[in-house]
Parts: sequence; C-alpha cells; structure tokens
Amino acid sequence: MSVPRGAVHAKWIVGKVIGTKMQKTAKVRVTRLVLDPYLLKFFNKRKTYFAHDPLQQCVVGDIVLLKALPERRSKHVKHELAEIVFKVGNVIDPITGKPCAGTRFLENLSDSENLTEADTTYLSEKLQELKVCPTDK
Amino acid sequence: MPMKGRFPIRRTLQYLSQGDVIFKSSVKVMTVNYNTAGERSEGARKFVFFNIPQIQYKNPWLQIMLFRNMTPSPFLRFYLDNGEQVLVDVEDKTNKEITEHIKKILGKSKETLEKEEREKKKLSHPATFGPKKYHLRECMCEIEGQVPCPALVPLPKEMRGKYKAAMKNEA
Repeated sequence: MSVPRGAVHAKWIVGKVIGTKMQKTAKVRVTRLVLDPYLLKFFNKRKTYFAHDPLQQCVVGDIVLLKALPERRSKHVKHELAEIVFKVGNVIDPITGKPCAGTRFLENLSDSENLTEADTTYLSEKLQELKVCPTDK
Repeated sequence: MPMKGRFPIRRTLQYLSQGDVIFKSSVKVMTVNYNTAGERSEGARKFVFFNIPQIQYKNPWLQIMLFRNMTPSPFLRFYLDNGEQVLVDVEDKTNKEITEHIKKILGKSKETLEKEEREKKKLSHPATFGPKKYHLRECMCEIEGQVPCPALVPLPKEMRGKYKAAMKNEA
C-alpha cells in the first residue's frame, strides 16, 4: 500500500495559531462543522494540531494553512506550515491586494479624505490659534 | 408546537439532503470570508445562512471555515489537494448564483454522480435476503403472495414438520 503523503487523514487544513511557545512548532486550532444529531444544526468542533514551523514566523492569532507531512516528524507533529493565509494585524485582501482591517481598507487612509465638515472647521480653528503672529512677543 | 429558530426548515433532514453541490474529492478546505453588515455581502450572508449546512451535509469530509469582518470584500476560497487555491469573488452575487457557480467549477458532474450511484448499486444484490443493513428484505415471508410468517399466521397442518413426520411414521 503506497502512502505518498500523510500517514494522517487530514492532508490540508486551515486553522488559527494559538501557541508558539514551542521551538519551531506552532499549536494550531482547527474547527470543523459537525452536525448535532438531535438538533440537526452544525456546530464548530475544535481540534488542536501541532505544525512544524522552521522559521518561527507564526504569531498567535494567524490563520495558517497546514500540509500533512509524508511521515510523522515526532509523536505529535504530523503537519507543517504551508502558508500563512492571514497574518494577524496585517490582513491583505486577496481580491484587491491591499492591506485592510475589518471592513475598511488601510491604504487610502489620508488625513483630508475621511474628515467631516465639523472636523475640518475645528482643525482650521486650532490652526489659526497656533499661527505665529509677528506682533506677539 | 412549531420548530424553534428563524428558518427552522434549515434544520430538517429533507432540506439538508436537497443540497446539490457535491465537491470533487480533490477539494479539501473551503473558506468563506464575509461581512455581517453591508449590502455587498448580502448574497454571501444568505449563502452562509442557507446553503452551507446543505454543502457540509453532502460533503462531510470537507473542512469549512467561516471568517467574519476580516476584509471589506466577501469571497470564497477553496484549497485543493494539489496545493492549488481557487479564489471566488462573491461581491454582489445572490446566494443562488454563488451555489451555481461553485457547482460549475468544483462540483462533481451529474454523469459522475450517476456513475457512482450505479457502482454502489452493483455491490449489493437485490435478490438476496438478510439483515436490513446489507439486503433489501429479511425473509421470504415479507413478500406479498408468499407464505406468511408463521409468527403471525400459523402454518397449515400439511406444512408443519410435526404432521409430516407423523404421516411418514404412519405409512
């Protein structure tokens, strides 16, 4: 029987990093939707996997894609980090390619564009006060 | 007493089995990024609310992850077995359009499904009797027109072994 990849059932999984205290290993929590047999509703069921991360580039809170290793690296580590899908605090929207946070893009945050009328009048007043007049000492 | 919840029909087996998107075996993970507010994400929200249970029911080994309010634009992302990733933009699409689209790009075709069903049927022979799990019928007495089960209706004298043995001894 050939085992080309994965002595493990899950070949590719996506999860969230919950711990990086181990050297070159990331603890990843993977959630799957499981049907409750009585309510007939899907609930998230969590499972933790350990993934080999040689460059220690994962931070707690990243969303990562794990790939199954061809054979187990150690007793618990059966996957390795394939790609960081969303880096925490630095999410790039794949459709536009721009950095974003929540429902806003971070790129076009310039001072003049997103200010309301009240803001501009307040700021211009403050600027007037700060203006250095040659008559003052 | 009516069912609890907003659209409790989503929680019936009949509704779940009506899902017609069955993914190819190379699709391993599906990720849905959508927003909880905003009308551009409306179709994605309806998709998650109505269609994700159907998809997960029909594809029990597919990992589905939902991400809310991470990016301004809603999208779906599929991770295939060969490392390929498929990005599907679902901005301003209704949930029906989304399901049609993913069925077209990554779903098993009707011919494949029919072929699989035929293969499955071939494994079990319909003319054998046995436990319900493996056969259609358990005993000949279940079929109309055959001798009824002696547990319900006593057999006529001539068919009983006791009578037949007595007749043989007599002769």
